[in-house]
Amino acid sequence: MLKIRCDLVEKILVTAIRDSIHKNGYKNAIIGVSGGLDSALVAALCQKALGSRHTFALLLPYRISSPASLEHGKMVCAKFKVPYEVIDISPAVDAYFDRFPAENRLQIGNKCARERMSVLYDFSVRRKALVAGTSNKSELLVGYSTQFGDSAAAFLPIGDLYKTQVFELARHLGVPEAIIAKMPSADLWPGQTDEGEFGITYKDLDIILHLMIDKRWDEGEIVERGYRLSLIRRIKKMIINSQFKRTMPPVVKLHARTVGIDFRYLRDWNK
Amino acid sequence: MIVSCLPVWYISVMKVRAIQFSPALGNIEKNMGLHVSHISRAIADGRELIVFPELSISGYHLKDIACEIALKKDGSQWREFENLSKKIDIIIGAPLEEDAGIIYNTALYFSRGKWRHTHRKVQLPNYGMFEERMIFKPGDEFRTFKIGTMTAGILICREILFPMLAYLYFIQKTDFLIGISNSPQRGIGKDGISSFQLWETMGYVFSQFYQQNYLFVNRVGFEDGIGFGGGSFFARAGQGICQKAKYVDEDVLDAEIRPADVRRARLSSNYLRDEQPQLVLRELQRILNA
Repeated sequence: MLKIRCDLVEKILVTAIRDSIHKNGYKNAIIGVSGGLDSALVAALCQKALGSRHTFALLLPYRISSPASLEHGKMVCAKFKVPYEVIDISPAVDAYFDRFPAENRLQIGNKCARERMSVLYDFSVRRKALVAGTSNKSELLVGYSTQFGDSAAAFLPIGDLYKTQVFELARHLGVPEAIIAKMPSADLWPGQTDEGEFGITYKDLDIILHLMIDKRWDEGEIVERGYRLSLIRRIKKMIINSQFKRTMPPVVKLHARTVGIDFRYLRDWNK
Repeated sequence: MIVSCLPVWYISVMKVRAIQFSPALGNIEKNMGLHVSHISRAIADGRELIVFPELSISGYHLKDIACEIALKKDGSQWREFENLSKKIDIIIGAPLEEDAGIIYNTALYFSRGKWRHTHRKVQLPNYGMFEERMIFKPGDEFRTFKIGTMTAGILICREILFPMLAYLYFIQKTDFLIGISNSPQRGIGKDGISSFQLWETMGYVFSQFYQQNYLFVNRVGFEDGIGFGGGSFFARAGQGICQKAKYVDEDVLDAEIRPADVRRARLSSNYLRDEQPQLVLRELQRILNA
């Protein structure tokens, strides 16, 4: 159901990346490479679009990040000939929590995501590059991201690909098997997996999301397909509760034309 | 010598060029430059008609830009197109403010130094990512016009997907139908992009059943992540799609339009002769008045 024609998707995404970078007066893209699948795919696509001279990766481990993540990140950069730098974010993150101790591990995870964003954006200036985001459609829809953290980017090249499609395209582009084979994880704490967090496999999540969002099936039709009503409703709730992450903050309207409401221009205005 | 005895509609061939390009959103000056450059090259290459996609002069997702950049009927841009049209016929797409505050999504035809024909888009999509009804007033007619010896008609984007609108041209004996489009690519699956198939299906229908030469000109490029798929094509009367431009990338498609192909198609299976528009009209009246 979610199969894609990879050669065509690759062509579209590579063209789109080139367009986003060049249209805004840049030549370079910068990517936070985590060692996971999404950033591996985005790095591969950016390298294809812009070449190695214009693609740069930052590997940003925290002290409790899995050592395999760093190794896989380096493996991706080697495979796709993407120059990179490793910056340990532990001193910056720990300095903050030394003053204001974390109350739970999610806080640390979010802080790490925002620290990585902060470093990426600083390097985007140093490297005269735009930040290529790595969010996929599955996580954008259920809100599985840190606001102003990993969700922050200049553009999201794989934001309309479900995770299962990310697997398919990654295979097509030759992402190393070690990265494709491992369980997807945000690596916010040891042993964390995406599917463990969701309580559902990506395969099932993506089918439900695709039927619900793209095909506009109602609950009853999805139940007939063999999915529990409680699961469908839980996913729907995740989508509704994370809508704030997918829109700009509401502006209180006072004037005739208001930013975010009826001041209506695309970002590509005049480009 | 025998050839010279044939009527003009039989022997004429028009060398047409379709421009599959990416205009800059809201940047009329830059887009004018792109138009002039493509037109000059087409003149140098001996083409006789150049066709640009829908809203070629402005880009597509105009939103609030529309009222700031819409071209005025008494504006100066036309003079440049009129001048260029002394050497080549030109069809462009433009937001046209015909009356104060009233903007149409139009296709404009320039020929022999004059602006000769305007088609105002009737079917304005207003769903999902489309919001043309918030910007444009719909047109209300489908008039043919002459390109050389040929009777021509223009459809703009979503109008192409309503076969009864092409039918209006068909019963006006159109032998050259031109569809200009800004179609966003969407609906990815294992077989490709489903939106590409829509346009090609209609191309087959217009060519086979309305027996017209049909040129489809779609843009490429991106506007805020929305990509326009290209895939412009020429479908020869009675023969289906015979030439196709690239998907996604900029491209130029040169086609030779022969009115003789229309005649040949009609002779093999004459849908125009057998069409009964009066019956269609009577039945429409009966159905609508029921």
